[in-house]
Amino acid sequence: MIKGYAGRVLEVDLRARSFFFAPLDEETARLYIGGKGYGTRLLYDRTPAGIDPLGPENLLIFATGPLNGSVAPQSNRFAVICKSPLTGGIGNATCGGSFALGMKKAGIDVLIVKDRAERPLRLEIDGDRDAVEFLDAGDLWGKGTYATQKLLSRKHQHAVIGPAGENLVLFAGIVSNERIAGRTGVGAVMGSKLLKAVSVRGSRKLDMEDPEKFKAYTKEVRKLFEDHPVLGESMRRFGTGGIVNTTNGRNILPTRNFQKGHFERAMDLSGEFLEDHGLKGVKTSCIHCPVTCGRDVEVEGVGVVKGPEYETLALMGSNLEIGDIKKVAEWNYHADDLGMDTISLGATLSFAMELVERGMLDANLHFGEQAGVTELIQDIGHRRGLGAELADGTKRLAAKYGGSEFAMHVKGLELSAYDPRGSFAQGVEYATTNRGGCHVQGASMYMESVGPLTINPQNLKLKADIPIMQQNIACAINSMVLCIFTTYGMIPKAVHEMNPSSFKYRALAFAFENLPGALLRGAMGIKGKPMLWFEKWLTYITGTTFSSGHLQEIGARIFNLERMYNLREGLTSADDTLPPRILHESTFPGMDSGHPLHLLLPSYYKKRGWSADGVPLRRTLERLQVRV
Amino acid sequence: MPVAVQLTYAMAKELGAQRLEFEGAQTVADVLRMTRERFAGAPARYDELTRVAAVAVNGVLVNYQRGMKTPVRDGDTVAFVKAAAGG
Ligand code: SF4
Repeated sequence: MIKGYAGRVLEVDLRARSFFFAPLDEETARLYIGGKGYGTRLLYDRTPAGIDPLGPENLLIFATGPLNGSVAPQSNRFAVICKSPLTGGIGNATCGGSFALGMKKAGIDVLIVKDRAERPLRLEIDGDRDAVEFLDAGDLWGKGTYATQKLLSRKHQHAVIGPAGENLVLFAGIVSNERIAGRTGVGAVMGSKLLKAVSVRGSRKLDMEDPEKFKAYTKEVRKLFEDHPVLGESMRRFGTGGIVNTTNGRNILPTRNFQKGHFERAMDLSGEFLEDHGLKGVKTSCIHCPVTCGRDVEVEGVGVVKGPEYETLALMGSNLEIGDIKKVAEWNYHADDLGMDTISLGATLSFAMELVERGMLDANLHFGEQAGVTELIQDIGHRRGLGAELADGTKRLAAKYGGSEFAMHVKGLELSAYDPRGSFAQGVEYATTNRGGCHVQGASMYMESVGPLTINPQNLKLKADIPIMQQNIACAINSMVLCIFTTYGMIPKAVHEMNPSSFKYRALAFAFENLPGALLRGAMGIKGKPMLWFEKWLTYITGTTFSSGHLQEIGARIFNLERMYNLREGLTSADDTLPPRILHESTFPGMDSGHPLHLLLPSYYKKRGWSADGVPLRRTLERLQVRV
Repeated sequence: MPVAVQLTYAMAKELGAQRLEFEGAQTVADVLRMTRERFAGAPARYDELTRVAAVAVNGVLVNYQRGMKTPVRDGDTVAFVKAAAGG
């Protein structure tokens, strides 16, 4: 077995209450690494086209990669893969917490959950005894994710759902500790299987090719992270909320259901404000991660809870015109406890508010007003009253009440908190990302609008190239499985310290922006020596050389396989779009329309090696060794 | 309507105000000068706090407009923007 892998896939049948261990397929691991890549390959091969995402035929796949179980910073994440009930296409999400470590200690690379239990169940897996217990979960059914985890064994690591998953809220997630695999409704799929929790334990150690080099190098990386202006300073001090004032200044902070990109009270929602006013002094982190981007806050009547991330601050703050960070923290707590994605939740709430504002929906729900929101969040999680309709997300709500021109989703997945009208590459990424309107499947905005060396985000230069490179690398990172925030460390400290008005900075930005796209992609595609930390970690752990070029190729392979999955499930190039509001309404003075997707998409398809209607060409699939 | 200035958090804390407003500014350079003057007696502090901040008018960096000569009109928002990462 390749080093870095436990070498085993555990397959569990919930209806039959049976299980078996199978060897990990080395060829698949070589081609797809693990995590999201391996899981997508399994889903493609093991499920027929057209299944009901909430039916027993759907698989729920938990997958780790070769970095999991090591002490590498940011490396304790697992991926969940299934058909998405929200989009009807590929569903996946990754999550920190401790479950990935638990899986690797139990000697399990991938867990495949099949079929549906006859009544609520939970799984307890002991990797040392190769035992899987199917335990009644009737007593846990209905409980929140926090209470559930408290009641489960302390010796295990857990992945659980809350009432939202049980009630098939289409944007329900799966929770480990205080972290959530939030997007695409993976929690609803777990709920559809009547599976409340998976608990794993074991005492195996990760077998690596060169542990000495790994250890010495990891020490260096920790130091590098500590000194880095983003990973060691701003994210550590302010969490992801440290970006609120930046997106607000760039006019891309979703406000009033994306009617605007600037919120007057944004500063009150920022990570800096949280540091000054709400932080209890406890910063939290996924295991082994020195970045500690999580923070606790005290919320009246609730207690000390996880502080909200940027996405939550924006989608449940500015986008609802709420500037009260404590209230957003309280809603975030309820959403986490119910087990729901706050991006989709916030966007669905803002859509409902606009429906009410336009007289298309009769409800007591208004921008800028907190009244009724807490109750509505509970109603969504429990599918009660109006909440039952919002539980189906923005796309379905628009199908019922109208308003598709301001329904902020792509492929059914609600848009994240970077308005693409001020970030054109991010818009192309949203439109083409296989799971729908999400930012962490590439994070192009970091290269063009919010990072330390940005290009003009509102012209066409590189706007089809950046998403390709970023989506590829994100696919690889989500397959290792590493935290996507690691990519923020790729821009060195020296660049962060440059004055943006200086000649040197402007010259560098000019040179970057005017690079031919093919040259940029070509440079990224060179297969050589490992340079970046994750390339070196993979190399030291597995014994196989990984460089930027290798990861671009593997990432492209995963991305194209996801694309083929989506096409098989009936999605087409017509789904590679942005909400009409983003395409046609301007939020910038002097700009007479919205995002110019129509000018960029053909070029994106061509550079991907796809036909004019967005289908990967046979030669592209052959070059990437994508078997379909 | 005056020109509004969106400060960084650190600048806002220093000045005790989240936003500033100026009448009569014609260009970005005017706005920056007026902002610097608010740091009465401590212009060096202004220089320190803005050293790595870019400047945007209505969300568009002045680097992609006319730099410090970028004109401003009543109702515009001039923002000091620091690079940041979120997720
Ligand atoms: S950067 Fe934050 S989310 Fe990522 S691994 Fe570290 S603590 Fe977890």
